[in-house]
Formats: sequence, C-alpha cells, structure tokens
Amino acid sequence: MAVSQETNEATYVLSPGVSETAEAPPSGSAVTGTFSPRLVVRNVLWFCRFRWMVAGLLGLLGVLGLIPGLLERYGLRIGPWALVTAGVLVVLNAGFRWHAARLKQRPSLRRVLGNLWSQIISDLLVLTVVVHFAGSLETGIPFAYLFHIVLACLFFTRPYSLLVTGLACGLYTACVLADQAGWIPGGGIYIDDSVRRHIARTPLVVAANFVSTQAVWLVVWYLASHLSAMVQRRDRQLRATNRRLEAFLKERTQHMLRTTHELKAPFAAIDANTQLLLKGHCGVLPEEAEEVIRRIGVRSHRLAGEIQEMLQLANLRSTGADGLPRDRLDLADVLRGCIGQIRETADSRQIRLEADLAPAPVTGVKDHLEMLAINLLSNAVHYSQPGGCVRVRCRPADDGGADVVVRDEGIGIPADKLPRIFEEYYRTNEATRHNPDSTGLGLAIVRHVAGLHGIRIRVQTEIGRGTTVAVHVPTSYVTPAVQEKESPHGLSDAG
Amino acid sequence: MAYLMLVDDDEDFARAVAKALEHAGYEVAVQLDTDSAGAALRERPPDLLILDVMFPEDASGGFKFARTIRREEPALANVPVLMLTAINTRFPLGFGASDIDDVWLPVDDFLEKPVDLDQLVAKVSAMLGQQT
Repeated sequence: MAVSQETNEATYVLSPGVSETAEAPPSGSAVTGTFSPRLVVRNVLWFCRFRWMVAGLLGLLGVLGLIPGLLERYGLRIGPWALVTAGVLVVLNAGFRWHAARLKQRPSLRRVLGNLWSQIISDLLVLTVVVHFAGSLETGIPFAYLFHIVLACLFFTRPYSLLVTGLACGLYTACVLADQAGWIPGGGIYIDDSVRRHIARTPLVVAANFVSTQAVWLVVWYLASHLSAMVQRRDRQLRATNRRLEAFLKERTQHMLRTTHELKAPFAAIDANTQLLLKGHCGVLPEEAEEVIRRIGVRSHRLAGEIQEMLQLANLRSTGADGLPRDRLDLADVLRGCIGQIRETADSRQIRLEADLAPAPVTGVKDHLEMLAINLLSNAVHYSQPGGCVRVRCRPADDGGADVVVRDEGIGIPADKLPRIFEEYYRTNEATRHNPDSTGLGLAIVRHVAGLHGIRIRVQTEIGRGTTVAVHVPTSYVTPAVQEKESPHGLSDAG
Repeated sequence: MAYLMLVDDDEDFARAVAKALEHAGYEVAVQLDTDSAGAALRERPPDLLILDVMFPEDASGGFKFARTIRREEPALANVPVLMLTAINTRFPLGFGASDIDDVWLPVDDFLEKPVDLDQLVAKVSAMLGQQT
C-alpha cells in the first residue's frame, strides 16, 4: 500500500498480499534480544541485590581471616585481599544501585546497557583478583566465571554473550600467566602449597588445567546460548502472534459494530418514514394503504430484530467471553435494568411484572448477562396471556453465586419439545401461533451465554399453566486465557 | 420556536425525523456530516443538537464531534446533545445512557434507532424544558 501526493493530485496503490496492519517492531535490542529496557532494569537491580550477598560473603571471610589461628585450623589462610575486594564491591554496587534506581524512573536502553556492561566488566575484574589470590589453578574458584557466562547467555544475544565469555577467558588467561610468571604476589588460600608447587613445576598440568577449564566455559556458553536463543526466538514468535491476534480482534470488533450499524440504519429510515405516513404527517391515507404500510412497518421491525439477534449469536459463537471486560456485578441490578427495558412491552400486552430482587454479586461479562436476562424476560412476557403475571426473583446462592427464577403464567411448552427449545431457529407450533414475530434465536443466545459463564438453567413447564426458568449463575467463571480489557466499552475509540 | 440541528449521514432517516419535529413546531436544520455541521453550528448555535454516532468517514465520528464542541467550542459547550444510535445496549459492544460521562461520552441523552417519532418529540421537548 502506498500513497503519494504532488500538489493537488494524490495516488493510492493497494498492493495485493501486503498486510495493512503494520507489524510493530520487536521490543528489546540487538544486545538484549527480546528483553525490554524496563525488564533489563529490573534484572540490573536483582544483580545488585545478589552482589550485596557476594560482598557480604567476601567480607565475612576477610574478618575470619583476621582472627589468628581460626582458619589455619582448617588449613586455610585468607589475606586482607578479601576485605579489600569486599569493600570495592560495596562501593561499586552502591553506584550501580543508585544509577539503576534512577533508570527505573526513565528507562533508556542506552543507559541501561551502559550500567549492565559496567557491572559485567567490574565483576569480571574483581573476580579475577579473587581468583588470583584464592589460587587460579588449584581451586575451583575460576568456575565462578560461569555465573557471568550463563547470565550473559540469558540476557544477551549470542554475539554479546560470546564477547562476555571471551572477556572471562582473556582475564583468566592473564591471571594464570601472571601467576606462573610470578609477576604479582599471590599465594592461594591453602596453607599447604604442595599442590600449587606441583602444578607450577609441571607445565603439562598447567596447560591441561587451563585448557580444560576454558573448554568447559565454552561448552557451557554454547549450550546455554543455544537454548536461550531458542527461547528468545519462540518468545518473538509468540509476541508476533499475539500482536496479530490483538489486531484481528480489534478489526473484528470494529467490523461487528459497523455491520450492525449498516444493517440497522436502513430499517431506521424505513421505520421513520412508515411512522410519518401512519401518524398523518403526510396527510390522511386510504384505509387499505394504511394497513399495507402498517404491515411494512411490522415486518421491517421484525427483520431489524432478527438481524440484531443473528449478529449477537454470531458474536457469541466466535468471540466467547475472552477479551471482554469481566466486572464484579450485582445480578439484581442487571435484572432491574432488563425489567425496565421490557416493561413497555409487558404493559402493551397487559402483563404484570413483579420483581423480588435481593443483591447477588457475581463476576461476569455485563453485556452477556444482560442478553441472557432480557431474552428470558422477553420470552416470559411474549408467551404469557393478557392479564397474566411474570415474576422475577433473585437471591444470592449458597455457593456464592446467584439464583434467578423467572416464572410466567403463559402457554407452556409441550414436554416432548422441551429438549429442542435452545436450538437455533426452533419454534414450537404453539409458540409460533401465540407470537408470530419470534425469531427462534433468543434461547439459542441464552444457551451460548450460559455455556460461556458456566450458568446452569432448569426449565419446568406445564401446558396452559406456565413456565418456570431457574438460572444458577456461579460467582465467577473464567474461560481459559481470559484477558481484562482497559476500555469498559470494548470500543477502540479512545479519542 | 426552538431551533434544532440534526446531524445524520442517512438522509432518508434525517428528513423523516426532521419532518416529524417540524410538525411538532420546531425549526430543524439537517446536516449530513460533522464537518458541515461544525460550520453551521458556529454560524447559528442550535437550542438542541441531535447527533448520530457512526459516520462513513469515522465509525465514532459522533462521539468525537460531541467531545469537540464540549471541550473546544465555549459558545456551544452548553448546547444539549441527544445521541441517536443503531448500536444499543443489547449488542455485546454497545452502549447506553449509563455510559454517558463527561470525558468518554459527553452527551445528555440517548435514543436508539429505529426511533419512535412520538418518543423522540417527547424527549426533545423534555430536554428543552418544555411541557409535552
């Protein structure tokens, strides 16, 4: 798709096969993969908390080393280097923590990465100092580099985690060379330095230790970075799928609204013009013409109602309750609103509506519960005899949900036809004779809403005596993968 | 005689409604889009605005128009707005009078299409503070 404009002329090209929904760029960066700056900041703060523990451990060892004879009893010696490195770590960590806390307010990827790389480099340098004083070849301390290698694999893309691994290898190599050459005084943590001297006297052992240690690091890097890359790739795919799904849902919502409008608007115009004629705004009509126009009005009303119910049903079938706003509702309030909507129809049919509604809180999709209630009430009113009464009762249920009963004194339903009343477009002959305007979709809508909300419905009926519909609404029923929406109206119109 | 403005892109509907309102004694101007309605409103503010929601160029054009005149047009901020809509509360994503608020939906009342013309005339009369 492309639009070009020169002076007052404009050209628009719609290219087939090109999605009009632009793919959002993936978050994160070439360094941090799929991690967003905000997430990296959170992890930077977590590293700082971990570093306090490392500094504390080094400090404790340093203090123990100051107590004469304590560690020597176990063949160990810890020089003042432990306290010094602990102090350096504390100072560095305080700086990193302060900087990260500021970044938390306004995360910028460049600054977050600066903080992270500063932490990595300083950690590796401090670790190299510790490795040197603890013993670069005769202790297992060098494997502490693996923490940094694995964390780099998790948080960085493969080239950058390899860079961290290379940095660790380089610093360790420099440490071993300095130790072997005797450039920096060390000594190790073991009082008995026979192992150290044996290694130093045997170049093959030095080389074997050195090479095997670094080979293990590289193998760990390869495995961890490979697995991490797979997870990050999957994460990117899921994000892309999620974006497409969100765009699809938004588009469908807009489409449903537009379709409803486009289908109902012509009927609104037909209806308004019919009323103009029937109400004498265009002069007095012959009686026969008036009757024809009245029939046009009735049928257009009925068609508008059918279209609306078909759209509701299509929407329920395809959408389900997922993605719609679930609210904490008082079912009594919902029923009160629906009774208000149906009252005019009831009055026109001389049917009395009696409500006995106690507060009954439930969690659900308000529109769905309204659809269910209005259809049950509408059926009760439409299939009642003139002068009859429809009673609505609402009570909180023992299990925390709500129980609703709608009882009418209407025509009833033949027992053999009862199992089919929730089928789409099914109408009994008795119902069609009593109310020819019925669409046969109302109870199908009720069935779909009930399925989505885990609602149980029990119908008791007696021919000529009436029908009682008992509804049990659970306190909360969440279909899998339900999501909360920000807009209470489900419209993307944030304007 | 109160002056009403009806903004609806469906000309058949708008003319029929206008005729019923004229018979009820109102002066009615019909505008078929929000751009021309904006210009006409500024030229002569009505006593009441009857506004559709969906327009061909913008599915929520009615909402936006209502917000614009409430927030950006001090001379029109107090004109009562009656919104007409084919999307109703029974539709899963619909809306109704309970959704009216100063920010999202700054209108005074709602009527659902198809409209009962007698009900519309009564509603207009009530909003203008007249006896029916």
